[in-house]
Amino acid sequence: MKTRSKGKATASSQTTKARKTTGKRPKSAPEANATAPRLARVAKGKRPQYFSDPAIDKILWITLTLCEELSVTRDRLDTVERLLEKRRVLKVSDVEHYRPDDKTEALREQRRAVYIDRVLRAVSAELEELAGRAEAPPLEEVIAAVES
Amino acid sequence: MTSAASRRLLQHGMLPQPTHDEQARQAFVTSFRGHLAAKVAPGAKPVYERRARPLFASQHGREPRDQHDVRRALEADPYYQFWSAMQRRSQELMWEAVIDPTERNWTQLVNRARASNTSRAGSSGSLELDPTLEVPRYHTAVDIHLQPGGYHTDFGADDVAAGAIYDRALNIYLNGALGPRNALMGETLLGFFRDRWPQRAPRRILDMGCAIGNSTLPWAEAFPAAEVHAIDVGAPVLRYAHARACEFGVPVHFSQQNAERTHYRTGSFDLIVSHIMLHETSKSALGNILSECHRLLTPGGLMLHLEIPRGSTPLEKFLFNWEAYNNNETFGAHMTEVDLPAIARRAGFDAPAVIKHRIERAPEQQLYSSETVWNVLTAQR
Repeated sequence: MKTRSKGKATASSQTTKARKTTGKRPKSAPEANATAPRLARVAKGKRPQYFSDPAIDKILWITLTLCEELSVTRDRLDTVERLLEKRRVLKVSDVEHYRPDDKTEALREQRRAVYIDRVLRAVSAELEELAGRAEAPPLEEVIAAVES
Repeated sequence: MTSAASRRLLQHGMLPQPTHDEQARQAFVTSFRGHLAAKVAPGAKPVYERRARPLFASQHGREPRDQHDVRRALEADPYYQFWSAMQRRSQELMWEAVIDPTERNWTQLVNRARASNTSRAGSSGSLELDPTLEVPRYHTAVDIHLQPGGYHTDFGADDVAAGAIYDRALNIYLNGALGPRNALMGETLLGFFRDRWPQRAPRRILDMGCAIGNSTLPWAEAFPAAEVHAIDVGAPVLRYAHARACEFGVPVHFSQQNAERTHYRTGSFDLIVSHIMLHETSKSALGNILSECHRLLTPGGLMLHLEIPRGSTPLEKFLFNWEAYNNNETFGAHMTEVDLPAIARRAGFDAPAVIKHRIERAPEQQLYSSETVWNVLTAQR
């Protein structure tokens, strides 16, 4: 038989204070809550493996998270453009019709090349290894080299 | 496609306020899930028919016989693997996107719930928690729907996080299909009840497995003269449910009880309802809950349990059970084969029936099926 020791979930000593602080809508700006607990982010239960190699599962996991963050960044940029238009700093169509001058375009090209290099290093690293430039001796030799 | 405004959740005081980027994350997950539902998931059928099924037949020398054969066939298919892995990740992203603002707003939410519990008690229902209640194993074994901590974990004193997280996530999960107050399931079952028993005005109503009370409120609003009770095993969702009901000014008596054995007196209710609760329980719990319904109902009283259909073909059955294998809805797979009316008869009901109830839904709000049909386990004491 169940014990019937129940009661209101509220501690009355905390209530007076609570009423004062909750009269207004909480601000949306990030603020630290010293007393707030850390909530769990990972669910209890075994995660299924969908691909032959668990690394593929991890890579898709990461890719989709990046996909989300890119979407967040685009939304944020859109907000900035719209706010700038509202405050008459620029028009969204200014952004649309903007054409970089030669100097700017050259800088952008340079930056894009570095960026693509960085993102596709997984591919280029393989070629570098084939070309022998990044070829390293077997691990045993490396360990022997540092331990001697 | 339905308009963004019609899919938006109505803001109330217990919903955490997301920052710009948190809101953008939630919006992304909504769009991503909508894409998976409308564009990717429907591909499972042609992929199965044209690729996975023939391959299975050639490898096994026979056609797939049941949902388990379909599972073996599809799990080896790259399209299914990618869809499943993305569907799974979308569910995890959903919780992450909702947990961040909840954690940041945690103190304000708990304080607001505390205040509503005292200042408006009496005029707006009640909240009774039972710290001695043992949360059943079918809740604690794994986190249902991958919600970290499930419906029952208190991360701090007087926690309401599980409820706040669930409220927002429910809106994202079905792309707003449950409406601005997440009330569609309650409204659907209420409509079912009014169609069939237009003369009845229940005086005492019990909602079992109410979680945040989103499906309870339509009943309380439809029958203001009735006393409405709602129970759940999870303390944080109940604290949230009561505070949320106060925000909407709807009086409901929430209490922490196990539907398998409540402490209400025999014959306490003339109407007992539940909204997609049965498939989150267990084999033994199912029988116990229906027996408890029989005990709690007055003679002539009704029980109505809204449930998710489980498909008819082996492929449909497998797809509906995707959530069982990939979304910690473990008991869902068992529900596919269960004979609910038979269990209700064993619980003492004379003529129980499962009645199909069809509703409209946009493609991006659908899951695993092009048509949306609910099952209602219906029985009179």
